[in-house]
Amino acid sequence: MMVLAIRPDSWNFPLLLHVGGAMLLVASITVAIVAFVQSWREADPDSSARLFRFGALTMFFAALPSFIVMRGAAQWIVSKEHLENSNVSWIGIGFGTSDLSGLILIITLILTGIALRRSRRGGGLGKLAKVGGALPLLLMVLYLVAIWAMTTKPS
Amino acid sequence: MGYSTLLFLHVLGAFTLIAGVGLFLAILLAVRRQPDTLVAQRMLPTARVLWAVGGLSALVFGIWLAIHVSQYSLTDGWILGAIVLWVIASAIGGRISAGYKNLADGSLAQSEALVMHGLLVLSVLLLLLDMIYKPGAG
Repeated sequence: MMVLAIRPDSWNFPLLLHVGGAMLLVASITVAIVAFVQSWREADPDSSARLFRFGALTMFFAALPSFIVMRGAAQWIVSKEHLENSNVSWIGIGFGTSDLSGLILIITLILTGIALRRSRRGGGLGKLAKVGGALPLLLMVLYLVAIWAMTTKPS
Repeated sequence: MGYSTLLFLHVLGAFTLIAGVGLFLAILLAVRRQPDTLVAQRMLPTARVLWAVGGLSALVFGIWLAIHVSQYSLTDGWILGAIVLWVIASAIGGRISAGYKNLADGSLAQSEALVMHGLLVLSVLLLLLDMIYKPGAG
């Protein structure tokens, strides 16, 4: 049996934004990963480019805004809980994975954006598309670690 | 299994379920924007698997948690509400999935699909609100 402390009502809205943003972020990255992986497997260059474009646009129009909502709400809830100067490891893991994933997200957007432009000019997708398309897999691993840390809260 | 592990598996199931919803929405967007259904056809198998696995694990580990934690009971209003919402969302998801069966021949009823996806998003949003605010708890 387990007894839980009930959190104050004022924490609920920032928590809703944080969890909702994180769910949208993981969903967007899943869509992009499926599109990129299918793009690599596609033999026809035109079909491959269409799948890659769908994945790249999903990263820009869905993953980036979701990341901003998730990260902004994380800062909000940390300040509500007065945990800004906390040394507990789950908060450290949360901010560490979030900041690193933010950097990887930006690199992904740059690489896939360049690959998309080259492809529109008829140059094919190339190696940049492979690297940019592989980075969301790394993001997914980081988010799995973050979900584990946020739910199990290792001290 | 301890509380932390159960909560992790429950939340992981919920994230997987939302990833399935994301793929269903991506399929709808692809079908509505493009004359052919290449993107949609490539995403459909993963969408079905994530929707089924995520939905089932969120429910199973959620019920397990409700039994494990002394302050919760399966008859609490917010838990019963979540189970009802889960059943509604599952029925809608099943209908969406069945609707995409004939994707290749382009016979998808787009207006019905739009309504169904809207209802799916609404039901999972209500589920999330219920899980965060826990109306009637404590």
